[in-house]
Amino acid sequence: MPDNWGFVIAAYGLAAIVLIAYWRFLFRREKELDDARTVRQHLSQESGASEPLPAQTAQRGPLP
Amino acid sequence: MRRLLGGATLLGLAAGLVMGFVVAPRESTQGNVQRIMYLHVPSVWVAYLAFGVVLVASIVYLVRRAEAADQLAHASAEVGVLFTGLTIATGSIWGKPTWGTWWTWDARLTSVSILFVMYLGYLLLRGMIDDRERGARFAAVLGIVAAFNIPLVHFSVYWWRTLHQPPSLMKPGPGTMPGVIVAALLVNFAAFTLLYVYFVAKRARLLRLEAEAEA
Repeated sequence: MPDNWGFVIAAYGLAAIVLIAYWRFLFRREKELDDARTVRQHLSQESGASEPLPAQTAQRGPLP
Repeated sequence: MRRLLGGATLLGLAAGLVMGFVVAPRESTQGNVQRIMYLHVPSVWVAYLAFGVVLVASIVYLVRRAEAADQLAHASAEVGVLFTGLTIATGSIWGKPTWGTWWTWDARLTSVSILFVMYLGYLLLRGMIDDRERGARFAAVLGIVAAFNIPLVHFSVYWWRTLHQPPSLMKPGPGTMPGVIVAALLVNFAAFTLLYVYFVAKRARLLRLEAEAEA
């Protein structure tokens, strides 16, 4: 039987393309989501710092 | 930990290639085209494993309503569909020089196509329902029902007259293959299993991050 190396290369090449493409999709999406999470955490820290603490609000007393 | 798993997977895949192309000899009947089996058979193993995990995780989700189980089922189904597609494609490429045709509607090929379409439907169903909890519940039911197709695929070669040969490795009793071919297959089984774990871990983490972002 002939060796049919072309078919072997086609099968392995196709598998390599599919698996690398899926890995790249996972990698990029993970980076996007990690970046978005970092921004969210940064924003929540900033907004948390600008708001007065509950103890400070209580010490101020009633508004005039 | 994930980097370690990624490194081990790469090493495993490299070892699998060496075993399949360097260590394993040219098969006397089929010639070198038989080397496609070191890709095709581990791919179908990963598909079975992935859909088995979908079944277990779906049951756990329906019993405990644990979001992690739903995310695991979703991730595993996606990876399973990927490897089922790869199984069909590599089998077709192997079939042309060996059987003389890219495709035939025999029991194994038809049942594995149905398996592929069912889990593709599972993924589409998840994407179609806006209510996350409802989508997860429906998907879990489909994940359990679709798993009944796995034994049908595996035993189709015994239950019907098929062009596809019966399993050479995933069967009870003593094997008939030379030891070096079995070793090459086993190394590739291990490498593909690592690749499955790596992909599912990464995909499940993405689903967790996506859920966090939506909350």
